[in-house]
Amino acid sequence: MTLPSATLLAQSALSGVFIGSLYGLLGLGLSLSWGLLHVINLAHFGLAFLAAYVCYQLASVGGVDPLLTLVLIIPMFFMLGVAMQWLLARFAVSPLNSLLATFGLTAIIEAGIQGVWTADFRKLESVYAGQKFRIGELFVPVPELIALVLAFALSFGIWGAMRYTDLGRAMRALAEDAPVAAAFGIDRRAHALMLSGVCGALAGIAGVCLALSFTLTPAQMYAWVGVVFAAVMLGGLGSALGPLAAGIVIGVSEAVTMVFLSPSWAPIVSFTLLIALLLLRPGRS
Amino acid sequence: MAGAALAVVPFLRLPAFYESFLYLVLHWIVLATSWNILSGYSGYFSFGHGAFYGVGVYTTAVLAGSYDVPFLWTLPAAALIAALLGVALGAVVFRVRRVRGELFALLTLAVTFVLATIVINTPIDGGPGVYLSSVRVPVLAPTASGSFYMMALALAVVTLVIARAIPRARLGVGLFAIHDDEDAAEVMGVPTYRYKLAALGASSALAGVAGGIQALFVSYVTANGTFNITVPLTVILMSVLGGTRHWAGPALGATVITLLLYASTAADQAVIGKAVTGAILVAAVLFMPDGILEMLRAKIAARRRPANIAPATPSRPADHASREPLEKRSSDLQRAGAAVENPGDEVAATAAGSGLAAAATSQPATAARLRSAAAARSAPTAARPALVVGTPLLAVRGLRKSFKGVRALDGVDLDVFAGEILGVLGPNGSGKSTLINVVSGHYRADAGSVAFAGHELAELPAHRIARAGIARTYQVPRPFAHLTVRDNVALTAMFGGAALARPQADEAAAQWLAFTGLHARAQDLPGALNLHQTKFLELARALAARPRLLMLDEVLSGLTPSEIDEAVELIRRIRDQGTTILLVEHVLRVVTALSDRVVVLDQGRVLAQGTAAEVMARHDVAFAYLGVVHA
Amino acid sequence: MLEVRNLRVDYGAAPALWDVSLAMRAGELACVIGPNGAGKTTLINAIAGLHRARSGRIAMDALDLTPMASHRYCAAGIAIVPEGRRLFTRMSVRENLEVGSYLRAARRDRARSMDYVCALFPAVRDKLDAQAGTLSGGQQQMVAISRALMAKPRLLLLDEPSLGLSPAMVDVMFRAIRDVHAAGTAVLLVEQNVTKALDIADRAYLLDEGRIISEGAPDAVFNSPGLRRAYLGIDTPGHADSHIGSEGKR
Repeated sequence: MTLPSATLLAQSALSGVFIGSLYGLLGLGLSLSWGLLHVINLAHFGLAFLAAYVCYQLASVGGVDPLLTLVLIIPMFFMLGVAMQWLLARFAVSPLNSLLATFGLTAIIEAGIQGVWTADFRKLESVYAGQKFRIGELFVPVPELIALVLAFALSFGIWGAMRYTDLGRAMRALAEDAPVAAAFGIDRRAHALMLSGVCGALAGIAGVCLALSFTLTPAQMYAWVGVVFAAVMLGGLGSALGPLAAGIVIGVSEAVTMVFLSPSWAPIVSFTLLIALLLLRPGRS
Repeated sequence: MAGAALAVVPFLRLPAFYESFLYLVLHWIVLATSWNILSGYSGYFSFGHGAFYGVGVYTTAVLAGSYDVPFLWTLPAAALIAALLGVALGAVVFRVRRVRGELFALLTLAVTFVLATIVINTPIDGGPGVYLSSVRVPVLAPTASGSFYMMALALAVVTLVIARAIPRARLGVGLFAIHDDEDAAEVMGVPTYRYKLAALGASSALAGVAGGIQALFVSYVTANGTFNITVPLTVILMSVLGGTRHWAGPALGATVITLLLYASTAADQAVIGKAVTGAILVAAVLFMPDGILEMLRAKIAARRRPANIAPATPSRPADHASREPLEKRSSDLQRAGAAVENPGDEVAATAAGSGLAAAATSQPATAARLRSAAAARSAPTAARPALVVGTPLLAVRGLRKSFKGVRALDGVDLDVFAGEILGVLGPNGSGKSTLINVVSGHYRADAGSVAFAGHELAELPAHRIARAGIARTYQVPRPFAHLTVRDNVALTAMFGGAALARPQADEAAAQWLAFTGLHARAQDLPGALNLHQTKFLELARALAARPRLLMLDEVLSGLTPSEIDEAVELIRRIRDQGTTILLVEHVLRVVTALSDRVVVLDQGRVLAQGTAAEVMARHDVAFAYLGVVHA
Repeated sequence: MLEVRNLRVDYGAAPALWDVSLAMRAGELACVIGPNGAGKTTLINAIAGLHRARSGRIAMDALDLTPMASHRYCAAGIAIVPEGRRLFTRMSVRENLEVGSYLRAARRDRARSMDYVCALFPAVRDKLDAQAGTLSGGQQQMVAISRALMAKPRLLLLDEPSLGLSPAMVDVMFRAIRDVHAAGTAVLLVEQNVTKALDIADRAYLLDEGRIISEGAPDAVFNSPGLRRAYLGIDTPGHADSHIGSEGKR
């Protein structure tokens, strides 16, 4: 086996960072709803794909700039998130049952997408597609860069909000001891609805990023479940920066594995990492 | 029986389509039921069922496809290899206490993806998939599809028989206890590690066989089609829909879901079918979170209730009436505000306060037992009476335990002698509960030794300690919420020092429930009991283990004075049956009334020991203890 | 100011409070004593909105709180130091205090309130950036009281603030409670430490088995036969003797 060149290694590490930040972006909403709302939201993937198809429709058919579709997608998916939380809260669903119920929702969304757009492959053709620029020896693809910027901005933004705003602190207080938080005047129901709305909006944004970089087919949504869950768990439930950091670690290690072995070996890195960490990580949870 | 009847189906010469459909129903019944053996019964939700199933698929595919092993011979191999994988995985994972709940789910899912990657990248598959079209299908029925049906039927019958037998056996009771409270189960003698391994082994072996048959049925297998998240999610969906606490629940759920999927594919409405399945899942989770069977059972129970309500209501122990005068008398005693000689009544009223060393009563019935202690009480000037002679039943030496740098036990030495009641006192946070938790194996000691009847316990797992004859109660009662009151008690009779078989354990449970006055509530769930009854259940559970040493952790806190008198009486009766008791208690008057000797802990160390009167008279004890809690 | 009338609260299936009535004037310090399991915590939690009442009425200045959601109680001027402190352990001390002053009215005075509690408990000032879960029991109790004060309550509810603390730390807590009371805040104190509680209270309620069996001036409650029966179980020859280790009565 010949050693790959430094450029190839750097280029693949870079692509690992890109895919990793997409893992992080998808994981962000999942982590928040799992850690703070105790809802393990499989439908997050369904919502992201739905957003990707909406973006595809508006951009490919309607000719709108894909990034402009966010103006519609963010409020729309915020409302979907709110509606979902309203339903789950109404029935006081346990975390495990929330996983099952949202799996059902995912199936409904998948069927809906299939009904409207069929199971055929769809690729968003936009001004961004295929665009790239060079930095030194390395190529930087624009769609992936957009995803990366959004992932960093949102992760850090939410991290800051959790830490430095009363709203964010209220969310964390509710997650730890909701009755006591309520005793200090924090409205549990309203905050849960809002947070779920934010998670929905995050799914929408992640979906637009998916549409920018990937060919879409409905069943593809399940392919993301394993690795994004791994990123969320590694990053820590309820953490805003954790999924991004863990996502990039996973993405880079996958990409580097692809260079040294073959692309088909990539998953073993992330999942072995996950297993090892679950077994060996000291303390906590 | 039903299986034999269903075996006729292939000879009815139905169209192959129907036979294949029935095969699929049976296939999913096997997968869902086998998943439920571990995950439903013990609560360890596995997302890795696809891994065990997939190992079966590939074992058969490789052996039959590449090495021309006759198909039926590959099935035991599939079972074996899947079981080996399961047990190996469990042997690692079940040692890590932290990996429970969603972490276990995630870990098993990760294992699935790791296996898939290995299969794809090695000659096992190599990437393109494995064809089995040249493998001969064994002839068990007139048609090939009939043969598949017969194989699946046989496997389904075996699976259901196993799934049905487990809840009636020790294994099942142990698994249900693990589901509700694993740590408490271990402390009550359930060998949790071994039981989880056994359940996972059985579960994965059955899934492996199902995989083997399915490999030939589809005759072309790919790694991505095998090791994915669809299999675990589907079996979870089926089991949860049907009900995970009943052996038949997953089978019911599997039938319903497969029918639904079939109905939609048959009608060429795959998309709508998928949406409907999703909607049913959402509705099932929201409206009947415990599954169809549990809902039906609750409905039936609700219909029967009106007839049953009369006998079920007496909430007080039946022999309560006979104790009424005693209660009255003891409260009179209290009002009198003095320690009174009261022969014929087993109430020892001991003085508290600064005159802690004041006179106490001794009663004829218990005088013999109290020899030394009573002597000490009547002669408070005696410097250090010989309290108890003989070798200790429990000898604790240099016991240390820290939590995050806080020393809960900081070198504790103490002895408990056979037949005595040793009271352990101390302010909040002095290490009393930690002492019980370490001795019972709930926590592992950092250093020191615990010898019980001459055997070292400190390194043993908690269930071995329970088996050796130590039982405990929890300060905050921890009944197994989904087991009936009777089963809660029968569990310790089976797994504790008594180690009874199931029928005898049920009898013993009835006896101990009568002893504690809970027999009328035997069929209720613990959640229906009030605090007083829950505490007595905690006691009954500890007693049913027939322990040589019983450790009571604040059994009386939260009870009303009259209930306390009842409990004191009960504890006396327990000791009269020959059980040694270590009593951690906050209610001073109880400790002084019951204990032969008292040990005072403060900041993780033994501050004083002796008779209650002696110890209470010491100024440092009074300061440590009474400075915080006035009683 | 506070009026609790015919309150019944169920805990699980069984009633924990039967028919409790009490009233507090502005600026008053009242204490509720009673044996373990008497329902003290249930009572104080119900007043804070942590438990729902089954029937009866809890009103602040004639505003009936009973039909309201639990997060509305704080705005009526009630703040609680719950049993076991229940700090937000994964947040810093500062953040705990900020959550305490979450409501708009309290938020406006946040800086001043922060100075006030730091003056009350200098130890809190030193630990502002520590994670609350890492503090000792005494420090956590100080933070719990501070968090409640940050809400600028007119009625402070304290549930066993001395539980599990060393005698010296207990004195610190009681001194702080006295200061808060002196500053004009009404305090309702639930305590196991009878003598200390009765020492500083203007009025006392004795709760036993979910009912108030004695109320009035602390001395009267202390000498009531109900106290000796309910709280001490078996009585002692002279209750003055039962306070070894405390300073005794004022």
